[in-house]
Amino acid sequence: MKNKFGVFLLGVATLTLLSAVVARAEDQLDAETKARIEKFEKGPATIDVSKYPQGIQDNYEVFSSKCTQCHKLSRPINSDFVMPDEWSRYVKRMMRKPGSGIDSADGKKIYEFLVFDSSVRKKAMLDEKLAKATPEEKTAAEAKIKEVHDKYDK
Amino acid sequence: MSEELKPDVEPTAARSTVPIWIVVLMLVLLYLGATYFDRHSGWFDQQVYAPYSSAGELALYQPKSGAAALIAHGRTVYENVCGTCHGNDGLGKANQAPPLAGSEWVAKDVVSLARVPLLGLNGPIKVAGQDWNLAMAPMGAGLSDADLAAVLSYIRTSWGNQSGPVSADDARTARAAISGNSPSAADLARMTPVERGHEVFQKYGCAQCHGPDGKGGVPNPNAKTAELVPSLIFVADGYNKAELTTFISRGERVIPRKNPEGPEPPHFMPQWGKIVNTNELNDLADFLFSLKPKGSDVGF
Repeated sequence: MKNKFGVFLLGVATLTLLSAVVARAEDQLDAETKARIEKFEKGPATIDVSKYPQGIQDNYEVFSSKCTQCHKLSRPINSDFVMPDEWSRYVKRMMRKPGSGIDSADGKKIYEFLVFDSSVRKKAMLDEKLAKATPEEKTAAEAKIKEVHDKYDK
Repeated sequence: MSEELKPDVEPTAARSTVPIWIVVLMLVLLYLGATYFDRHSGWFDQQVYAPYSSAGELALYQPKSGAAALIAHGRTVYENVCGTCHGNDGLGKANQAPPLAGSEWVAKDVVSLARVPLLGLNGPIKVAGQDWNLAMAPMGAGLSDADLAAVLSYIRTSWGNQSGPVSADDARTARAAISGNSPSAADLARMTPVERGHEVFQKYGCAQCHGPDGKGGVPNPNAKTAELVPSLIFVADGYNKAELTTFISRGERVIPRKNPEGPEPPHFMPQWGKIVNTNELNDLADFLFSLKPKGSDVGF
């Protein structure tokens, strides 16, 4: 009984400190994005592609040489993007930056690698997002994933 | 051997528990201390602990009233909006912005002065005997009348400038006198979102950095993006509407450097969310999406 009171007080003290920290984080608009990126970058910086089809392995080379010009490879590898339309937008966004050195042929290879990889290595996350998507989005995404698999799976 | 004959044993204190009130007191103190720390410490922000550099600086932070309060608020607005280019000392920056200290433009009537932040100013001008030929976006177009009055008051009374403060009513009158050029609400209602977005693009001076048609090409020395302000014609490829409006709202204060040891690139994307309203942002996104050249799909 006495012990419970002590635990209760300690709990209150901890919660006060925690909530202050949370409130502090919300002050900064960009802090959330920054933290996400930092979290991604802490993950592994390579993918074992030895079991992927040869074409996808070749695309992985393009992906790792082009994307590391500006940021760590661990950022896209561990990111929470998995849907084909997410990858399409982000690859194009990076590709269109002046001086990116990524032409549309390379962009397509990078996109195909990321879509393929997401459908294998991040399957759980992909399924979760597909389940949350609208029926039209789901159909479109599945068609795009199938397109990539049909092209490379032999 | 009887009990009495045993040698004396060294006396020891009996084991007893710590009184619960001490534990409670410590926890209460911890709680109060944490709360106090939270409320008063400013956390570990260096600014909180650094001493003021002078009594003058300390006086600056004291509560003001009347014109002094207006001017103090104007200083905040100035340093957020104008100071980046005109300098917090009002001395301007070579090839970026003319000085405001001792400028005859500042001494003009309120309407003429307000025209600069409200509409921007392009082309050759003379300031204090020196020629300038630059472009300024309508940086003050989104300020409230109160903020505009405050910032004009600050400019007119600082760095040796001797014109008087400006009231919010003066600012409102000036804005009304100037806004004759922009489309009326009825005009805007008739326009398509893309057309309205084009107005927004012009109103806030996006073209000053991104080029008149959003095609980019304005130099931004030492920016990682090939030392250029990026073109906007392909944003339809890289962003959906929510992502684009969020990006424009937040801006990008820190532009990655081409040479990490080199100087900070002079142009950055301002935090437009504080200036442009949501309807305008949505129209602007529609306009930007419309810039994508036909037949430029890359097939993924």
